[in-house]
Amino acid sequence: MKRNVAIISVGYNGRFVSKRPDVNIPELIEPAVTNALGKTKLKPDDIQAYVVGNMHTFEGVNGPHLWASDHFNGSGKPVMRVATGGTTGASVFQAAYYHVASGMYDVVMAIGWEKQDEGDSQVGLVGIVLPEAFTLFQFGPEMNTERGGVGGLGGGGSTGGASYQAMSYLSRAHAGIEHIDRIAALMRSNAAKNPYAHLQQPGCTEADIAKTPIITYPLRFGHTCPTSCGAVAMILVSESKAKKFGLTDRVAWVKGLGSGTSDPTTGNFVEGQITDPAEQHMCKVVAKKVYTMAGIKDPTKEIQVAEVYSGFSHQDLMWPERLGLVKEGKSPEMLDKGAFAIGGEMPINPSGGVTSTNAIGASAMVRVSEAALQVMGLAEGGHQIPMKVENAVAHGWGGLFQFVTVTLVGRTPVKS
Amino acid sequence: MPGETIKSMVPITFLYRNRVGQALETYIDGLKDKKILGIKCPACDKVYVPPRTVCGCCHKKLDTYVEVEQQGTLENFTVAHVTIEGGEIKDAEPYVIGMIKLKGADSLLSAVVKGVAVDKVKTGIRVKAVWKEETQGSYSDLAYFEPA
Repeated sequence: MKRNVAIISVGYNGRFVSKRPDVNIPELIEPAVTNALGKTKLKPDDIQAYVVGNMHTFEGVNGPHLWASDHFNGSGKPVMRVATGGTTGASVFQAAYYHVASGMYDVVMAIGWEKQDEGDSQVGLVGIVLPEAFTLFQFGPEMNTERGGVGGLGGGGSTGGASYQAMSYLSRAHAGIEHIDRIAALMRSNAAKNPYAHLQQPGCTEADIAKTPIITYPLRFGHTCPTSCGAVAMILVSESKAKKFGLTDRVAWVKGLGSGTSDPTTGNFVEGQITDPAEQHMCKVVAKKVYTMAGIKDPTKEIQVAEVYSGFSHQDLMWPERLGLVKEGKSPEMLDKGAFAIGGEMPINPSGGVTSTNAIGASAMVRVSEAALQVMGLAEGGHQIPMKVENAVAHGWGGLFQFVTVTLVGRTPVKS
Repeated sequence: MPGETIKSMVPITFLYRNRVGQALETYIDGLKDKKILGIKCPACDKVYVPPRTVCGCCHKKLDTYVEVEQQGTLENFTVAHVTIEGGEIKDAEPYVIGMIKLKGADSLLSAVVKGVAVDKVKTGIRVKAVWKEETQGSYSDLAYFEPA
């Protein structure tokens, strides 16, 4: 029998930035841990277990938890590292949830981070995507980008791979590149209201984004995420502990969660199966399961805000549809009428999202932490949405779009 | 065919620049001045050499640097018969590598020990640091230890 789990605290290391030459990896992580603890009355010894994670390959430190355990107070306690590519942060969070929901522990800390100035993210990405690259060799592409290779599925690293999805999305939604420019501008201006966001552009406009050069059509430089350094820590507790700590008011309950996997070929290449990278069948399946678990019947009405993982701006239009928050093909229209803005009817990424801040191992967890902060009413710097948030959904994707995680947090726990 | 060597390979080169951190940077700067720096925990008074920014025992942040003595005790050792250069293992004349507890430190420092025969070395002997004549701010500035 699973137990209810509450998020009681969120801590960031500080503002996420592109370079932190002044610290090493453990020193980057430590302030997030201290800040998460500092918002509670808990002491380091109160944390019973840790789940931590970042992207494999990116810093070349393949057991970073061995290096950093003292810095997150983990020595002498159970520490589990989780690395699942782009979904890492969400997987870390979900594993921490299992620690508590299972009854094994009452107080657990989840930590996600990335320090991207220590390696080359696009090279690191090759190491991550290699299993998929080998799969794709069967379908023609080579490693050399100038021949439309796997190295970028046609230039521009991961942006190349995302371009096919963006093309398909625009066609399905009868939208144009201007919609991607518009949502990108919204994200960067949202980021300006989030003191922890990396690329903060107050009042960023569609025209500002449209000035940036094309990488692989329809994706421009202004549609892509930065490479950031940053860390997030969250404290999860059981329902009985939440009551004991007197913390049932400003917490976010984990009401539903799930993940799903397809594979890069069935997602993109094999005729007779799903050949459309914008279909995202798995996301729909997982979202539906999560909503059922959370007792949500109509996500368009019962969920007030979403934090979706979008390395590329067209995805900020696509994911809300696949998560069932918006009717399929209707995101451009919703965007145009202001529904996705912080004060709109379905705010998407009030934090500025991943296209504004991407410390990869933290990113999918930041979606959950930001959703939790919205529920708790604690989003700082003007990015708290004005509506009362009963439920918020957080999403992550990884691989070549074939891994998906969805987490739903809310103000009231599900009756167990 | 099974059993035949596959000739086609995917070449990938990775380059990383892992920062050593604030405390180790300070330690390395100290080596340049022929000083061995540690850091003291305000809670348990332990002195870590080389320094680090957090005390793993009491979860305190550390920022009080202290210089420790350049002499200490050989606490443990092994006799190496190889060296590793650029990832490659090479045969070498047997030499001593030891774990040294410097006076004023609560942690062990790993270093080469010279001036004592490999068949005569034993734990408990007193050793002292020997520096390179010209230091440059690198681990190798502290060249080796020898009997004090």
